[in-house]
Amino acid sequence: MSKNKELGSPYIEKTHFWGRIFSVIAFIILLSVPTMITVHYDAHPTFHQIFDGFVSVALIFWTAAILEIIVYAPMLGTGASYLSFVTGNTTNLKLPCVLNAREIAKPKPGTDEDEIVSTIAVATSTIVTTIILAIGVLALTPILPKITAKGSVFAPAFNQVLPALFGALGAGYFAKHWRISFVPILTAVICLLFNGNLGTGTLIPICVVVSILGAYVMYISGFLTGGVKPENPLKKKK
Amino acid sequence: MDFKENGFMYGIAVMVIVFVLAQAFFFLIRAWRRGKEIGMSTSTLKNVVTSSALFTIAPAIAIMATVVVLSSSLGIVLPWIRLTVVGNLQYEATAAQSAMEAFKGGETAVAFGQEITDPTVFAAVAWVMTLGVIIYLILVPLFLKTVQNKVGKVTGNGDGNNKFGDIISAATFIGLIAAFIGNALVGKAATIVKNGKTEATGMGAGVMSVAVLITSVVTLLVLQKLCKKFGWEKFEPFVMPLSMFAGMGMAILLYTVLPESISLYEWRPVA
Repeated sequence: MSKNKELGSPYIEKTHFWGRIFSVIAFIILLSVPTMITVHYDAHPTFHQIFDGFVSVALIFWTAAILEIIVYAPMLGTGASYLSFVTGNTTNLKLPCVLNAREIAKPKPGTDEDEIVSTIAVATSTIVTTIILAIGVLALTPILPKITAKGSVFAPAFNQVLPALFGALGAGYFAKHWRISFVPILTAVICLLFNGNLGTGTLIPICVVVSILGAYVMYISGFLTGGVKPENPLKKKK
Repeated sequence: MDFKENGFMYGIAVMVIVFVLAQAFFFLIRAWRRGKEIGMSTSTLKNVVTSSALFTIAPAIAIMATVVVLSSSLGIVLPWIRLTVVGNLQYEATAAQSAMEAFKGGETAVAFGQEITDPTVFAAVAWVMTLGVIIYLILVPLFLKTVQNKVGKVTGNGDGNNKFGDIISAATFIGLIAAFIGNALVGKAATIVKNGKTEATGMGAGVMSVAVLITSVVTLLVLQKLCKKFGWEKFEPFVMPLSMFAGMGMAILLYTVLPESISLYEWRPVA
């Protein structure tokens, strides 16, 4: 088992190199989609038609993107971040998948093992999602609207994917870390009672920050270490 | 043939899919080789792959359903491409809607939910959807390293101060999970504006979400206990996905057994 705990081990450094190369290719491919549509159909929307739509989207989603990268990238790991931010569905699929994989392989945080487990989890998830979407589009398109349509027996199950997913994921964490779980859950509930439509994009950073602060206070007060007050890790660094 | 679903559009989709698969396989093989180099066992690596694949099935089908929702306006291919590269329903629907609103008052104005018949509107929608997410592909290669190093220093992962790092790492995940648990307990359904009317895209918290949440939590805890007690190591990768399916199964059971007024009851329905 590797004990490589350096940030930026040679393997991770190389992952950054490859990740950047793939990001540049993804950037070109992503832009080529509307470009090809514009050229092929000789359909040229005006600058204002694109810009007006873009501004209202960018205000919300570019801000969310910055927050997402700050909050999720450290959780995902290097290779998984490069993969996940290219393929999307980070909060509802890739991140849960990484948490699940870590529960199984139990690597030490910050090691090469941790990095390998998260990369394999996101890569596998990406491949499976891509295949399911492709099969779905090609074969199931005529049936799928019936399965997911209101009134179908299966519709409620698909409406409840997130509670099912995060219930299963959360259970292990809550059982192991019940002391630090109360504060963020209570925070989420209070925020939602004030504004029930608060998107998870806003709620997640709030809960993550509160959870970290709560855990930090509990840690330095000795609540997590059986009453023994440990040295303040932040002060020690100075 | 509909210009939104012709051979040309499928050709673009194939190009995108080949790239996404190539990237995923490249990282997968690289990580697997490195894992073997540092002495990780084949069974651990296989377990990660199996469990991740199983874990992905239900959310991927839910994503597929969002492709269908979007296809009412955009045809099936563009949503397919968009949800393969940096996508999610809330974003794609909002982006499509914003792009269509820019055509308001024109001859071809459409609202989300109506079929687009003008290639110019279609091209505008494709541009807005793309430009709205391109930021990830600019920020990640430029700043990922800095972000990870800064956070690593704070949590002490870099200097062997493990206990604190582990607690902060767990607290971060719990914070993320708490947001979704909160939504399942008291959240309202997400909405989109379709044909000028506000519509719920799913279900808010209520009888169903709380029952599903409790089922998946209890199933996981019970299965984990059984695995520990009887040493079912091979069964462990299936525990999490099975608990998730148990939760979804509970939704179907409640819907089938109880009257809709109870099973679909939401604490705070969208008016």
